[in-house]
Amino acid sequence: MGVGLGTRWRAWRRARRARRTFGAPRGFRAERFGGIVQTETPRALVFVDRAYARRLGHDGGALWDGPEPAATDDGGNIISAHHLSAPLEAHLQLTNRCDAGCTGCYTGATPQGGPAEWGRDEWLRAVDALADRGVLHLALGGGESAVLPWLGDIVRHARARGLVPNLTTSGLTHVDELCELAPLFGQINVSLDGVGEIYARVRGFDGFARVDAAVQRLRASTPHVGVNTVVTRVNYDHLEDVFRYCRTRGLSEIELLRFKPSGRGAGVFAELTCSDAQHRGILPLALRLARRYRRRVRMDCSYTPMVAHHRPGARLMQWLAIYGCAGGDLLIGAKAHGKVSACSFAAPPAAGPDVVGLGDYWDRPEAFGAFRSWREAAEPCSSCEVHDLCRGGCRVVSAHVSGSLAAPDPECPRVIDWRAAHPASAPAPGEISTRRRLPVLAH
Amino acid sequence: MLKRWRARRGRILAVKWGYNPNSSSLGVDVTFLLFGAIAIALMTPLIAVFVRARRSARDATPKG
Repeated sequence: MGVGLGTRWRAWRRARRARRTFGAPRGFRAERFGGIVQTETPRALVFVDRAYARRLGHDGGALWDGPEPAATDDGGNIISAHHLSAPLEAHLQLTNRCDAGCTGCYTGATPQGGPAEWGRDEWLRAVDALADRGVLHLALGGGESAVLPWLGDIVRHARARGLVPNLTTSGLTHVDELCELAPLFGQINVSLDGVGEIYARVRGFDGFARVDAAVQRLRASTPHVGVNTVVTRVNYDHLEDVFRYCRTRGLSEIELLRFKPSGRGAGVFAELTCSDAQHRGILPLALRLARRYRRRVRMDCSYTPMVAHHRPGARLMQWLAIYGCAGGDLLIGAKAHGKVSACSFAAPPAAGPDVVGLGDYWDRPEAFGAFRSWREAAEPCSSCEVHDLCRGGCRVVSAHVSGSLAAPDPECPRVIDWRAAHPASAPAPGEISTRRRLPVLAH
Repeated sequence: MLKRWRARRGRILAVKWGYNPNSSSLGVDVTFLLFGAIAIALMTPLIAVFVRARRSARDATPKG
C-alpha cells in the first residue's frame, strides 16, 4: 500500500516548519574557481565561476586573489584544478555500535562499538569546526547512530550552524526517536539491499519486515526518504524489486552503492563484488529502472568509472558533478573516535587530525596522501579523457585488490580492457577505446 | 565577442542535485543522464532563475 496524499502533505508541512525554525542553510561559499551557491528550491549546489558569483553580489576574498582557473568551451574541468576550500560534505560515523551484524558491514560495527568513541560534546565541537570551515552538508551514519540519545542535539546544532544534516539508518531500531527528528534532516535513506528474501541473503538475517515498517513510519514524518542499496552479485538481478518497492512506498530516491572491501566487507569482497559484466551494465539498468518507476537514482562516487564507460561526455559529467574518488576533497570521513579520513572506507592518515583540527590540516601539501595525488596517475588513467573527473576510480578497491592506493581502479571497464590489450601493462597513449555508448543516450 | 560576453556574465559550471545521505560515499543524481546533453541546455537557464530568485529574496530581507 502506498502513502496517501494527506500523509504526504502533512509530512511536507512538518518538514518545512521544522527547517524554518532554524533558518536557511549557508547560501554561498567562495572557491578559487568562483563559488558554490546552495539553493533549497530546488535542493542543489550550483558551482559558478567568479564572474557569475560577482553578479550575485558575492566576493571571494583572498581565494580570488590568484588567477582564475582557465575555463574552456569544451567542458574543461576548472573545478578539479585545485582541491576545494573545504569539503562539500562530512561523513560522520557518530558511533560504531550496531546490533544488526550484517555480513558485509563496511565499518565492522558491533554491539559494543569502537574504542574511545566520541560523545555528544566532542561531536558538537566538531559540528562547530566544520561549520566554521564552510562545510555544507553532513551525512550521519555509523554503526547505527539512531541508538545515540544525543543524536537530536547534533542534528539541531548542525541546523543552527547552517549545515544540512542527512542520515543513513538501518531502520531496525529506535524508529520512534528517528520519526521525531525526521523533519530536521535534508534526506534520510534507509539501508535496503533487497526486498523480502533477497534482503536476508545479502545482509545475513531476515530484517525486511522491520525495515519496511520503519520506512512507512519515516515516510509519514518527512517526504525526503529514500533507500541506499549496496549492489552485489546477489541482488543485482533483483534491483527492479527495490525500485518497485520505492514507488509503492512513495520514496523519493534510490542510491546505488558499489560493494567496498572495507570492515567485514573485506573478507567477502571477492564473493560479493559484481562481475565485470554487471559493472558494465549497472548504469543502463539504473536509468531504465529510474525511467520505468519514475524515481530519482543516485550512484556513489566509486561507480564513476562504470558511468564514464558509457561515454556520457566529459561536459555532461562535469555539469552533473559526477566525480570519482572525491575523498579528501569533496568529502571527508570522520571515525567514531573523531579522527578524520579521506572517506569513510579509508583509514585515517598517519598523524592526521581529528575533526576539530581539520582546518589546520586541510591545505597542507601532504594532506590525504594518495587521495590528493590522483593527477600523477599512470596508464591507462593518464590518457583517459575523463580522468580529472573520475580521478582513477575507487582508491579503497585499488588498495584492496592491487595493494596500492595509487593504482587504477581494477574494476574499471577501461582498465580491464586496457590490461587485456596490454598484457605486459606497457603504456599505450592514444589507445583505441572499446567503450560502448549508453543505449538510452544514443536515441 | 560571444566569448567576452560570456566571460562578463559568468557561467554555471556544475549542479549537484539533492542531498547525499549516504555516510560512506558521495552519491550523485545521475537521472539527468537519461536526457543527455539536452539536460544542460534545459536545466541551466532554469537553475539560473532559482539562483537569481534566491539573491532577490536575500536582497529583499530587511537588515538589522
